[in-house]
Amino acid sequence: MLGAVLLGFLFSLFLVFAGSYFRGKLAVLSSLIPLSLFVYFLTFIPEISSGEVIYESYEWIPSFGVNLSFTLDGLALLFALMITGVGSLVFLYTSAYLKDHKYLDRFYGYLSLFMAAMLGLVLSDNLMSLFIFWELTSISSFYLIGFNNDKADSRKSALVALGITGIGGLLLLGGAVLLGDVVGTYRISEMLSMRDAITDSSNYLLILLLIFGAAFTKSAQFPFHFWLPGAMKAPTPVSTYLHSATMVKAGVYLLFRMTPVLNGGDIWHTVLIVVGAITMIYSAVHIIFRTDLKGILAYSTISALGILVFLIGIGTQAALIAAAVFIVVHALYKASLFLITGIIDHETGTRDVTQLAGLRKVLLPVAIAGFIAALISGGVPPTLGFVGKDLIYESTLHFKNNAVLLTIIAISTNVLLFYAGFVAGVKPFMGKLPKKFEKLHLPSPLMWVPPLIMTIAGLVFGLFPSLIETTFAKPIAMTQAIAFEDFHLKLWHGFNTILGLSAITLVLGVVLYFTLKPSHALENKIAKLDFIAPEVLLLKLSEGFAVFSKYWTNFFQTGYLRHYISIVVAFLILLLGYLIFSDFSLETDFSTLADLTIYEISILLMLLMGVLYTVFTKSRLAAVAALGVVGLSFSLLFLFYSAPDLAMTQFSVDTLTVILFVLVLYKLPKYLNFSNKWLRMKHGVLSVSFGVLITLLILRVLKEPKNTEISEFYAENAYKLAHGKNVVNVILVDFRGIDTMIEISVLIVAALGVFGLLKLRLKTRDKK
Amino acid sequence: MRTIILKSASSYLLPVLLLFSVFILLRGHYLPGGGFVGGLVAAIAFVLDAFSNGLDKTKGILKFHPGFFMPVGLMIAFLSGISPMLLAGLPLMTGIWADNPIPVIGAIGSPLFFDIGVYLVVIGASLTIIFTISESV
Amino acid sequence: MTNDIIILPLVVHLFFSILLMLFWNKVNFQKVVSMVGNAIALCVAIWAFIHVYNNGTQIVESGNWPAPFGIVFVGDMLAVTLVLLTAIAGFAVSVFSTISVIKARLRFGYFSVFHFLLLGLNGAFLTGDIFNLYVWFEIIIISSFVLISIGGEKNQLEGAVKYFALNFFASMIFLTALGVLYGLVGTLNMADISLKIAEVKDTTLVEISAVLFLVGFGIKSAIFPLYFWLPASYHTPPSAVSAIFAGLLTKVGVYALIRVFTLIYGGDSFLTTLLLFLAIMTIFSGGIGAIIQNNIKKVFMYFIICHIGFMIGGLALFTEVAMAGVIFYLIHDIIIKTNLFLISGLIYRIKATTNMKKLGGLYAHYPKLSLLIAIPLFSLVGIPPLSGYWPKISLILASFNAQEYWFFGALIFGSLITLIVIAKLWSEVFWKDQPKINFPKKFIYFDQLRLGQKFTFVFPVAFLTFVTLYIGFGAEHIQQLSQRIAMELMNNELYINAVLKR
Repeated sequence: MLGAVLLGFLFSLFLVFAGSYFRGKLAVLSSLIPLSLFVYFLTFIPEISSGEVIYESYEWIPSFGVNLSFTLDGLALLFALMITGVGSLVFLYTSAYLKDHKYLDRFYGYLSLFMAAMLGLVLSDNLMSLFIFWELTSISSFYLIGFNNDKADSRKSALVALGITGIGGLLLLGGAVLLGDVVGTYRISEMLSMRDAITDSSNYLLILLLIFGAAFTKSAQFPFHFWLPGAMKAPTPVSTYLHSATMVKAGVYLLFRMTPVLNGGDIWHTVLIVVGAITMIYSAVHIIFRTDLKGILAYSTISALGILVFLIGIGTQAALIAAAVFIVVHALYKASLFLITGIIDHETGTRDVTQLAGLRKVLLPVAIAGFIAALISGGVPPTLGFVGKDLIYESTLHFKNNAVLLTIIAISTNVLLFYAGFVAGVKPFMGKLPKKFEKLHLPSPLMWVPPLIMTIAGLVFGLFPSLIETTFAKPIAMTQAIAFEDFHLKLWHGFNTILGLSAITLVLGVVLYFTLKPSHALENKIAKLDFIAPEVLLLKLSEGFAVFSKYWTNFFQTGYLRHYISIVVAFLILLLGYLIFSDFSLETDFSTLADLTIYEISILLMLLMGVLYTVFTKSRLAAVAALGVVGLSFSLLFLFYSAPDLAMTQFSVDTLTVILFVLVLYKLPKYLNFSNKWLRMKHGVLSVSFGVLITLLILRVLKEPKNTEISEFYAENAYKLAHGKNVVNVILVDFRGIDTMIEISVLIVAALGVFGLLKLRLKTRDKK
Repeated sequence: MRTIILKSASSYLLPVLLLFSVFILLRGHYLPGGGFVGGLVAAIAFVLDAFSNGLDKTKGILKFHPGFFMPVGLMIAFLSGISPMLLAGLPLMTGIWADNPIPVIGAIGSPLFFDIGVYLVVIGASLTIIFTISESV
Repeated sequence: MTNDIIILPLVVHLFFSILLMLFWNKVNFQKVVSMVGNAIALCVAIWAFIHVYNNGTQIVESGNWPAPFGIVFVGDMLAVTLVLLTAIAGFAVSVFSTISVIKARLRFGYFSVFHFLLLGLNGAFLTGDIFNLYVWFEIIIISSFVLISIGGEKNQLEGAVKYFALNFFASMIFLTALGVLYGLVGTLNMADISLKIAEVKDTTLVEISAVLFLVGFGIKSAIFPLYFWLPASYHTPPSAVSAIFAGLLTKVGVYALIRVFTLIYGGDSFLTTLLLFLAIMTIFSGGIGAIIQNNIKKVFMYFIICHIGFMIGGLALFTEVAMAGVIFYLIHDIIIKTNLFLISGLIYRIKATTNMKKLGGLYAHYPKLSLLIAIPLFSLVGIPPLSGYWPKISLILASFNAQEYWFFGALIFGSLITLIVIAKLWSEVFWKDQPKINFPKKFIYFDQLRLGQKFTFVFPVAFLTFVTLYIGFGAEHIQQLSQRIAMELMNNELYINAVLKR
C-alpha cells in the first residue's frame, strides 16, 4: 500500500523534470497512474467484503511516534476506489480539457500530488501521518485553485481556501497531539479499544473541539463554508476532483473514522447534527439564488457535505450506512455534473444558466448523462440516489430525538438538491437552442465519456444495490458502528412511510423546478444580504486586524532610537524595581564596608561634577572635556584602590579618546540642540531611576559573603606557575589569555570598521 | 598647533616615549605595565608627533601603514597561542617557558610573545583609527 | 575528556582572518581563500561533531589551567551541533558573498571581518566561562556592526547606529549581570557557578541577576519588548550579511539564554512565567508585524522575531520534551532563516527589487527556481513533512502537558500567520504577472550573468535547501539528537562533571 501512495508522489516528481513531454498528446498517458491504482484496489474487494481488515506498517520517525501505518477496511476502500476511480476519469478528461495548455504538466503534477496525498490520508492508520497527508492536500489544493495564476481572483480564492483549511490543519495537529498524549499512541486501530478512556479524560472536550474544527473547515461546514464557492475559480477538473468528490470529503472521512474513537454520547451527536443541519439548509437555500452553474453545484456540494456530517452525527448504524451510500451517490452524480458543466463551458463559453438552453441538439450524449445525473441527485428510482434518500429518511425517522424536525430538514434539503440537479443537468439541454450555439459540436470523447460512465454506474448500482452492500456498506457498518446488526440494501422496501416521504420529495422537487427559474434578479437580491455573510464578516475582520497590526507595529517601531532605548530601560526598571522592592530592607550593614576617606569623597565630587556638566552643557567640546574628567577620575579611583595597571590603561585610553572626539567634533556643529523639556524630564526620570535601582542592587550584592577561591588561586600561583609577579598582567596574558586574544581582535575589527566607514562611501545608485 | 616648542619637544619625546613603551611592555610581567599600556603609550607618542610635525611626516617615520601592524601582531599572538598545541601537545595558550631567565627582560616564554603581539595590535589599531579620522576630517 | 578537536574551528577562523587581512588588496584571492577557509571549517566542525557524538562531552582547558581557574571550552552536544550549523551557514553565505557583495565592499576587509564574526559565533557556543562569553559577544557585535556599515550608505548607517546602540546596551546589561553574579559566587566558570549558586542565601538577588541576563540576552535574541532594533537594521546591509545575521546572531542570544537558564538558574517560577509571557507577546507582535509588510526582507525579519517566540516559549516550559522541541526548532531555524535571506538576495538579483508590489512572474519564468525556493518557504510555514513541522509536535505536546493553553494558542496563531503571509508572498511574487515598472538600467541582472556566476548564486540556496530537506525527511536523526541534547541540558550534572571533575 505504501507503494500505491508513493506512486502519485513519484509521478509528480517525475513531471518536474520530464513535464514538457506531457503537454500534448501524451497527456492521456498520465491517466494510467490512477487507473492502475484503481485496478489495484479493486483486487481487495473480496477480502474486505468478507469483513477482513488489512494492516501495513512502516517505521518512519519512531521518536515522534509518527509511522507510516496503513489500514484497508471498508471505509478506506470506499474512499480509495472513489479517489482513484474518479481520478482516472478526471485525468482522462483533463488531457482534452486543458490540451496544449502551457502549464499542463504542472497541472498533472499537482493533481498527482493531490491524489497521492488523499490516498495517504484515507489509508492512514496513524493519526499523525493522516495529518501530514491532510496538509499536503491543502497545499496541492492551493496550487490547483490558483492554477490560473495570472488572475487576481483565482489567487485570492486560493489564499482564502488555504487560510481556512490551514486553520483546520493546525487544529487537527493540536487534536492529534492531545489525543496521542491521552492514549499513548497515534495508531487509530489501537485507539478503537480506548474510547472510554478518551471520553472520560479531562481533555476530551478540547480534543473534540480541535477535531471538529479541523473537519468543519475542510468539509466546508457553516460558517467555514465560504471558501468552497470561491474555489470554483479553479479549472473544472479541479472542482470535480477536489472540491466535490474527494478533498472536501476528507473532513467527513475524519469524522467517520473517528466515530468509534470519539463518539462519547450527547455532545458528539448534538454538535454534529446541529452543524450539519444548519449547513444543509443554509446552502441548499442558497442554490436558488445562483445563476452560475458552478455556483449552483458548489452550494449543493456544501449542502451534501452538511448531510453527511448530519448523518454521522445521528450515528446509528442506519445513519452510518446512509452516509456511506450517500458518499457514493454524491461522488457519482456531482462529479458528472461538474464535468458536464465543464463541457458546456468549454463549448459555449458561458456557465450562466439563464443563457443556456436547448443544448441537447448539439451535445446529445452529454444531455443523456446530465439527465441521469439529475435523476440520481433527485433521488428518483431506480437510481442509487433513490436508495440513498430512503436510507437518509430511515435514519432520521428512527432517531431518538426530534425525529420529525430532522426529517423535515432532510426533506427540504433533498427537494432543493433535486432542484439543483435538474437545473444543472437538465435545464441547459431543454428548450430552444439559441442561435449563437447552433454551430457547436461535440468535443473529444475523452470529455463526455467519463460523466456518462459515472452516471450509468449510478443507475446500475441503484438497480443492484447488493453490489454496494457487500463491498462497502456492510464492512463499514461492521467497523464503524457502535453495535452491528445485519441488514440489506434494497431498491424496493414496500409501501411504507419512507416511500411516502420520498414521493413527497419528488413531487415538491418537480414543482419547484417548474415554478422557480434562476435569474439574475434573485442573485442581486441575495447580494444585498452579503453584509452578514460569514465571508464578508471574515474579510472585514481580517481588514480590521490588518489595521490594528499597522497601529501596533508603528506604535513601537517609531524609528527613533531614543524610544527603543527608553522601552528597554523602562522594562528593566519595571522588573528590577519589582524584584528589589519585593523584599526590601533598608538596613544596610555599613560596618563591613571600608571607611570612607577624603580621597574617595573628592574623587566622587569630581566625578559628579563631570557627569552633571556633560549632561547639562550645550557645548559639545565642553561635554567631551567633561567626559575626559570623568575618565580621569576613574583612573584616580583605580590608583587609590591599588590597581596601577588599570589606572595607566584608563588614563591612556582617556587621552586617546578625547583626542579622537576632538578630531570628530571638528565636523559637527558647536552647540547642541536640546529636545523639549518634557522629553528631557522623562528621560531624566528613567535614567535616575535606573541608576538608583542599580545602586540598591550593588549595595545588596555587597552584603553577600564573598567567595575568593579563584582570586586566591591567582594570587598564589602567579609567580609559582606563571612566572610573573604582576597578577593583573598574568591574568591578562596567561590565566585568561583567550579573553585578551579576542579583545585585541575586537580592536582590530573596530579599526577596520573605522577605516572602511571613512574611506568607502557608496552612493545609492552604484549599489550592488 | 605646529609651534616651534611642540616641534622640538616632540622630536626628543618621540624616541624617548617609544623606548618607554617598550620598557613598559617588557616589565609588564613583574611590575605594572604590559602590552596594552605599552602600545597605548607608543600610540600617543606617534599622535604627538603627528600633531606637531604633520600627519604625512609621521607616516613617513612609520614607513608602512599602521594597519599592517594589526595582522602582524595578531599573527604573533596567534602563533604563541597555538605553539603549545603544535609543539608540546598541550592545550591552547599554555605558557611554555625557557628554562633560564635572561637578564633585564626576565623569563622568556610564550606569554611574552603574546604580549608583544598585543603591543603591536594596540599600536596598529589606535594609529589606524586616529590617522584615518584625521585624514578624513 | 580532553580533545583539542573542538577548538579547531576557532583556530581555523582566526587563522583565516589574519591571512585575509594580510592580503588586503587582492580581492579575488580573498574570495577563494575565504571559501576554502569555510570549507575547512565545515570539515572540522563535522569531525568535531562526530567525535563528541561518539565519545561524549569534550573539554579544552586553555592555558592548561584546571577548571575553574582558567577558561574552559566545553564541547557538549549542543555546542558542537551549533558549531556545525554555523559552519554550514557560514559556508553557504561565503560562497554567496563572493558573487553578491560588490567589489568595493570586498576591498575593505569584508571577508576578514566575516571570519571574525564566525570566530565569535563559534567561540560563544563553545565557551564554558561566562566572562569569556561576554568577550565573544563583543567580537560578534563589533564584527556585525562593521559588516552592516561597510559601504556607508545613508540607510545602512541609520540601521547600523540603532543596531549598535541597542546591542551595545545589551552588552552593558550583560556585564552588569556578570558583575552581580561574580559578586555572589566569586567564580566565572559556568559549571562552577552552577554548583555555587545553590549556596547563595539571597534568592531574590539570584533572580535579579537572572532578570539582567534575560534582558541582556533578550535584546540580542529579539524578544518582546526588546526587539525593535531588528526591523530597523536587518534589511539595510547586503543580503549575504542579512543572511548570516538572520540565521545566527539572534540564535546566539537564544543559545545564551538556554545555557544560562538550564545550567545556572533552573526552573525558577517567576522567570519561567515571565519568559512564557514574553514568548507569547513575541509571537504575537512578530506575527502581526509580518502581515503589513510589502518588502520580502521585512517579512522575513518579522518572522525571525515571531519564531524566536516559539523557542523562548519552549525554554520557558522547561521540560525535556519542550527542550527537545526548542533544539530541533533551533536547528531548523538557523538553516531556514539563512536560506530565506539568501533567497531574497537571489530575487533581488533577478528583478532588482524586493518589494512585493513590484515583483511578479517568477513562477512563469523560473519554474525550477520557484520549486527550489518553495521548499524553504513551506518549511518555514511548517508544512509536513518538511523541517519546520516536526518540532511543533514537541512544543504542542509540552504546552498541553504543562497546561499552558495560551502558549498553544500562540503557537497556532504564529503558524497560521506564517502560512497566510507566505501564501500571500507566493501569490504576489511568483504567481501574479510582472507588473509594468521601470527597471533600473545600470543593474546587472541575473539573466545577464555567466553560467558560472549563476551557479554561484544558486548553489548556496540549493545547498541549504538540501540540508533542510534532510532535516525534514530524516527527522528521526534530528529528533534523536535533540532529545539527547535536551537530556544533557536538563541534567546539568553531566556538564558539571565533565568540566570540573574531569
